[in-house]
Amino acid sequence: MPAANVAAQVRTSLASLKASDLQDAQIMEVLKLAHQLTDTMKLFFSSLDQSICQEFNYIADYISRTRDEISALRPNDIKSERIPSAGVELEAVVGDTEKATETIMSAAEAVLCEDATDYDEYRANVEARMMTIIEACSFQDLAGQRVSKVVNSLRHVESRVSRFAEVMGVRDADGFETEEEKAEKARAEKNLLNGPAVGGPETSQDDIDAMFAEAGEDVSDLDQSSIDNLFD
Amino acid sequence: MAVEMTMPILVVDDYKTMIRIIRNLLKQIGFENVDEAADGQEAYEKMQENKYGLVISDWNMEPMTGYELLQKVRADESMKATPFIMVTAESKTENVVAAKRAGVNNYIVKPFNAGTLKSKMTAVLGDF
Repeated sequence: MPAANVAAQVRTSLASLKASDLQDAQIMEVLKLAHQLTDTMKLFFSSLDQSICQEFNYIADYISRTRDEISALRPNDIKSERIPSAGVELEAVVGDTEKATETIMSAAEAVLCEDATDYDEYRANVEARMMTIIEACSFQDLAGQRVSKVVNSLRHVESRVSRFAEVMGVRDADGFETEEEKAEKARAEKNLLNGPAVGGPETSQDDIDAMFAEAGEDVSDLDQSSIDNLFD
Repeated sequence: MAVEMTMPILVVDDYKTMIRIIRNLLKQIGFENVDEAADGQEAYEKMQENKYGLVISDWNMEPMTGYELLQKVRADESMKATPFIMVTAESKTENVVAAKRAGVNNYIVKPFNAGTLKSKMTAVLGDF
């Protein structure tokens, strides 16, 4: 029952008591005070009801807007279509490259083992192996197309998530890593697992060679200046 | 002292293709006594059973990385003198410095060729 209705009910009860012709002046005084108090409380609770109502309306609007934005995010499409499809494409890329590598390496190994006693036969065999290698390199075209599809899917997910975060004013929160993710992160930090750099090695082979040449035989203690040189 | 071309070499990598590439390069250089392991743990167990003239190891492997293998090897009296070359795509300076401090004898960044492998092996083992 709303607070204002409760106050009205109390007020009605007090009026009923007053009307019952009580003789005690002190009780009448108490009833009068109680009446004044309920009047005051009625105003207070009325304002309170209004502000709570406004709060609930705001929360309802926010929930409704959030639901609309989550719908626009199309999470089911991302979960059931985009991500699995990207996974399938990447697995296919790995499979294609493995198959091509196997073909190319087998052909190259066969060339290295080829008997060169008979020149004509040797040349014919080497040329046939070279053609096999050239044909196997067609995997790059397919792999490129598959990777493009994956990149497009990632861009799609990125744009939708970015829009959602922007519209909802979402900020990144800490503490949502699983135990498995935390363990993996700690292992990567401990073992300096950075992975291959994009666009070639971050430290060139020449720089590494220079560092090893400078350190000489003593591999246990690297000179700070040679380290500094690498960072220049 | 001349390098014994029949010395056993342990190649550690979790990618069969990379092991095959290194095997082929070593064969071209003249080393055919090649053993292999798929990660640091397997390599360490093999090193406890056999004596190798050289270890060529990748960095990023599971469950034990090449970096952890290097640290274990250098801490183990029975194998601490085994020459160790890191062959890896980990090319950050911090990786090179960490490997150097852990006692690696040389460091090759992927991709690499037979010439690079041979020159680093010569730097570590001497002429062959």
